[in-house]
Amino acid sequence: MAAAESPSAALRRRDLCSRGIRLAGKMRADVVDLLDAYVEQQGLDASASAAAVEGVPLAAVERWDEQTGTQRLLENLAAYRAFRTLLAQMLEEQREQLGEADAGLGRALAAVLLQVSAFAYHLEELLRLESRGVPGEEGDEEEEDGPPPPPRLSLFEQKLRGLGVLRELAQWAVRSVRDLRQLAKPSPATGAAPGLAESP
Amino acid sequence: GSPGDPQNLKCLTHNLHKMLCTWGVSSRGRHGQTDFCYTTNDLTPQVCFKTKERRVEIPIPESSITVTIKSSGTAFSTREFVIHQKDISFVPVTPHILSLMPDFPTSTLNLKWSDNGSVFPYGLDALWQIQILRKEAMEVVTQVTYYSKLTHEDAILSWSWTSDMPLECTSHYVKIRCYINATQFAGPKDWSAWSPAKVIPGKDTEPGGSGVFPLDRVVAVGSDLVFCCVHEEDEHIKNMTYGSKSYTMTQLSRRSHAIRVLNASVSNTSGTNVVCRLKHGLEGSVVFVGYAPDIPQNLSCETPNFLIIKCTWKPGRPSGLYGERRTKYSLFERTSGKNVSCEVNEVNRDHVCGFPVLPDQKTYDFILGVSNPIGQAQSSLLVDITQRVHPKAPEKLTITGNNSTSIQLRWFVNGSFAETRLLCQIEISSSHSERKLHNVSVPGRKSSTYTAELNALRPDTKYQLRVRCSAADHFWRWSDWSRVVEQTTS
Repeated sequence: MAAAESPSAALRRRDLCSRGIRLAGKMRADVVDLLDAYVEQQGLDASASAAAVEGVPLAAVERWDEQTGTQRLLENLAAYRAFRTLLAQMLEEQREQLGEADAGLGRALAAVLLQVSAFAYHLEELLRLESRGVPGEEGDEEEEDGPPPPPRLSLFEQKLRGLGVLRELAQWAVRSVRDLRQLAKPSPATGAAPGLAESP
Repeated sequence: GSPGDPQNLKCLTHNLHKMLCTWGVSSRGRHGQTDFCYTTNDLTPQVCFKTKERRVEIPIPESSITVTIKSSGTAFSTREFVIHQKDISFVPVTPHILSLMPDFPTSTLNLKWSDNGSVFPYGLDALWQIQILRKEAMEVVTQVTYYSKLTHEDAILSWSWTSDMPLECTSHYVKIRCYINATQFAGPKDWSAWSPAKVIPGKDTEPGGSGVFPLDRVVAVGSDLVFCCVHEEDEHIKNMTYGSKSYTMTQLSRRSHAIRVLNASVSNTSGTNVVCRLKHGLEGSVVFVGYAPDIPQNLSCETPNFLIIKCTWKPGRPSGLYGERRTKYSLFERTSGKNVSCEVNEVNRDHVCGFPVLPDQKTYDFILGVSNPIGQAQSSLLVDITQRVHPKAPEKLTITGNNSTSIQLRWFVNGSFAETRLLCQIEISSSHSERKLHNVSVPGRKSSTYTAELNALRPDTKYQLRVRCSAADHFWRWSDWSRVVEQTTS
């Protein structure tokens, strides 16, 4: 049984969790707006089924209740790091394909990318709070020239992937709110907030 | 005739030199060795040879030939035939396709074949019929006649055909035959046999070749387009949409369906989606429908400072293409051979391009080149930049001195005007008097300050002053006005 947190650490964690919840809530609202604009701008119809897109982390998880706090944070962090890469690629493709033609969508995409980066940093803060080592970025461990570039998708596949990325990001924002609420809960026995390892 | 009698002697030539003669024997004869003899009518000795087959190749006669066929079957029987040139059919050899190369981006088939001309006399007219077939059922899509003249050498002929549908959609086949107009030859002339078909396989013959084609193409507004959806054989295709509209599908093969879109209109910035909905999935492509660039109008070039030449123009109708497909501009100067590509913002549509002033060059022969994936255009302009000076607004206008009736002032003009004179105009206004303009002509210098003195002013009067400049020789345009300074005479 890990020792209970000090009151100041628990306070700090609850503060980080509640700020994280607000950040995720705002991010979700912006992603939903971006999704609507994206669907319209890319000429897709909202019902377009975007099959699971390679490299996009899925928000759905089995036995969510049984996850420890550390698992929640680590999975969230891995997901938002992946979204940071995917959104940066979308932004690059957007500039390539549209130039200045639709700067509005480009700006909205860049704004969401910023929020995702901020949220990833926030998650790292939470992990550091628990003196948990923050896992290195996937690229760090790869050899020098980083992961192999993804296969060149056709323009329609790029559009569908973008749709899949934004949809899944919106789902992740919901999950993150639930995860952070779970982390912020005081432990029923001692009334003090449990260490991350314990909190289911 | 008696059994085994030779009959139906027919002669045919492929090359106007030799002819192939064939014959039959009446049905009930046993077939054995045959003596074939022929002689032309100018009393040359008879030529004979033995053959087991009922076909021989012999030279074509100038006019006619007498043939004697002695066959030793069930009983000896001899028949004599007289063949005139007019009885000999001329059917060219079946043409041979050398190569059939597809160019998928343009949906074009490039055909090459040999005209076998070395066999024929110089100058004969040849007609070639080329047949394009498509689909699994090999339906004839088009048949074209191509003309050429034989040159007594084997020439390689080539011909291209652009399909109305992407070559990926289904297999395309090409066959060719020829007719040679041998006017000197008296006998009946006919088309050759069709060559064996050469095939360009479609994606619908490839395992895993699924998708919508063409993929990510750029086309002109008003085009009639064909899109196809290639899918697995056991896959059920529900519908195909272009943009938001569903279109009637035509089946090309078990694995390929197509739609035809007429008179395509300009697409939105991210292109028009062509979506194929399948029972188990979705395939799609994007097409960009836009305009070729207009010829740039009102091309005009001037220099603000003899360091850079600024060219501006009116682009005409927007192309509707963006990003990497946008219309690109480049400025080429013929005398120096220098080429500059221009950064143009396609959205707020300010079309300006900078070209460096070159040492010791006054006259510039510009070609503004414009291109996008659909087309290109250009405009040209010959300009002497000493006659196109449009300075920047003077800066740092300051009062350097004054008394009751005069004011001295100084200003700065950015640019390299050492080889020209500047004409500067000072505007003086005050509440008591009308706005006056005072012109001063000064020798230009390199990024320098200039001064002037205004006299005959009223004492104790507040004046507003501003200045603008232009080239003194060959006036072109005034600069903008400098900012205003105020000064009260003492």
